[in-house]
Amino acid sequence: MLNRELLGPSLFLALFTLYAIVAWQIPLLPFEEFETVTSATLPKVYAAFGIIVCLLSIGATLLKPTAAVDEDNVLEKSHVLRTTGLLILMVIYSAALEPIGFLISTSAFLLVGFFVMGERRKAILLLASIPVTVVFWFLMTQVLGIYLVSGDLWS
Amino acid sequence: MFDGIMLGLSTVLDWNNLLYVIVGCFVGTFIGMLPGLGPITAIALMIPITYSIGADSGMILMAGVYYGAIFGGSTSSILINAPGVAGTVASSFDGYPLAKQGHAGKALAIAAYSSFIGGTIGAILLMVAAPLLAKVSLSFQSPDYVVLMFLGLTAIAAFSNKGQFLKAMMMTVFGLMLATVGIDPSSGTERFTLGQADLLDGISFLLVAMATFALAEALINVVRPEKKETKSINDSDTPQIGSTKLTKEEIKDIAPVIGRSSILGFIVGVLPGAGATIASFMAYATERNLAPKGLKEKFGKGSLRGLAAPESANNAACTGSFVPLLTLGIPGSGTTAIMLGALIAYGIQPGPMLMQENPSVFWAVIVSMYFGNIVLLILNLPLIPYFAKVLAMPKSILTIMILFFSLIGVYLVSFNTFDLFMMVGFAVVALVLRLLAFPMAPLLLGFILGDMIERNFRRSMMISDGSLSFLWERPLTLSIFVISILVLLFPLKDFISQRRADKAVLKAKQEHA
Repeated sequence: MLNRELLGPSLFLALFTLYAIVAWQIPLLPFEEFETVTSATLPKVYAAFGIIVCLLSIGATLLKPTAAVDEDNVLEKSHVLRTTGLLILMVIYSAALEPIGFLISTSAFLLVGFFVMGERRKAILLLASIPVTVVFWFLMTQVLGIYLVSGDLWS
Repeated sequence: MFDGIMLGLSTVLDWNNLLYVIVGCFVGTFIGMLPGLGPITAIALMIPITYSIGADSGMILMAGVYYGAIFGGSTSSILINAPGVAGTVASSFDGYPLAKQGHAGKALAIAAYSSFIGGTIGAILLMVAAPLLAKVSLSFQSPDYVVLMFLGLTAIAAFSNKGQFLKAMMMTVFGLMLATVGIDPSSGTERFTLGQADLLDGISFLLVAMATFALAEALINVVRPEKKETKSINDSDTPQIGSTKLTKEEIKDIAPVIGRSSILGFIVGVLPGAGATIASFMAYATERNLAPKGLKEKFGKGSLRGLAAPESANNAACTGSFVPLLTLGIPGSGTTAIMLGALIAYGIQPGPMLMQENPSVFWAVIVSMYFGNIVLLILNLPLIPYFAKVLAMPKSILTIMILFFSLIGVYLVSFNTFDLFMMVGFAVVALVLRLLAFPMAPLLLGFILGDMIERNFRRSMMISDGSLSFLWERPLTLSIFVISILVLLFPLKDFISQRRADKAVLKAKQEHA
């Protein structure tokens, strides 16, 4: 299995290599052909430098005589699941904001979010979601005059 | 300078701006007190609001949030041994033992007075240093800016935590790469847009700042909750606040410490990449070394000097970090990098011309620092027991609120849901990188400086006819370049000594076996 210390530099190495491939394919405009600095110059420099740093990091990790196990970094399954739930919720909220509008989507986002975080008291679930959304909506639209989407499906 | 101060005063004394200083300090204190949330998150959350209030007021608000967050971090360090901000970790060494001994009020008062004096000395030094440096920097040319920005990027990597240099460098390069996405402003060529029209304008700085700090910090607290032994403010054995009065002897004892640490903190704060954390640790170590034998042993067990030193140093360093931002347009830390991004978003180019082109912004920020420090002292100190209740706020509510404000903050600026999807994507990447112990500030700094580096690099190359000789043609450029290289080589020393230590441990283990 890939060592934790090697995982980061390896991911970056893959990313920087991909970036380098795209950087070398940046099309040059006719007038750029004879210029020393083009739109591809610094991306190529960054890619090369990044790859060197990754290789140095991988080399330094492999040369380490001892690999200490960091117990603090072991994640609990329930925490990972909760985080994944929140990420999915954010994606759904982003997708729902314009079709169903700010008021409904935000109230639902807050309510479900509190639930995912382990809040089960009905009073808190309701009071911390719907009134907060309405107050925020009022402040934005009526006080500050900022437009908040009302929902493409209803308009 | 007098005219400038008067201009700053007239700007800050406007009722709206005065209100922003107070609100900024309050909001900053509130967010800074929450374990795991620091000034960068606090400022990132404020950016969408500042877009609607103008540059002067926006910068005043953000500066207030900055000091407030540092002050708030001290409160949670002292009361529950859970620093909300890295810059106040050193404050918990003696602040928490003092609170446990029943002197929480005294510890908080020392923190408030030290912060106030540190911040005020810092503001006076800033008032003198910034215009002088701004004048000098008028002679700076593109090559000087290229090497200065290079110095900023290498310094933030070199001064990152021990053993993190290469990780910080990778993050810096990643930030620079993100800055290249979009249409190249010089030639009009599309770069790294993956055919997405939404990426033609590049990636919004607000999106990156919110995703990597606000969202990632909220999520990291969910995926890896704080394991450190901390006490809730509601626990029965939580230290009582008690009296906030100091005796004459105590004031006499800590006064020189505050003076020394403030100056040290300011100088460290001015250096790119250093900032409040290094300043507070350096001040703590310096005062421990300077203390007479009897007092030296008290460090770590509730020493008043041990608390006053980091508190004054971190506030002075916060002020000092504004010097390179306001005079050179180069941020020395993640927090000032966010402020630079906000300034650029207002259409203001920070740097040597800022003082001439936008004197009201320049002086208002400096003068607002005095007011911010006064607000923190006279309003926050009596309110500490009430602020402390914040620490009892349910995490479930807080986390979701941060996620909501981050998402809606970005949406209210762009009104584009593509940005929200991209933001979640960035938050996932930032979360994974944080779990792998990659620092975030270098990424943000690289991202914000990327565009400026490219523009100045092109100009320098054109001036020197396509040759890199611009790096050594002028003594100033050469000096900064040499310093950058030395800073880049600085972590090598740590690496070699660490390798020797590791080998020695391994050898000892083998012999033992």
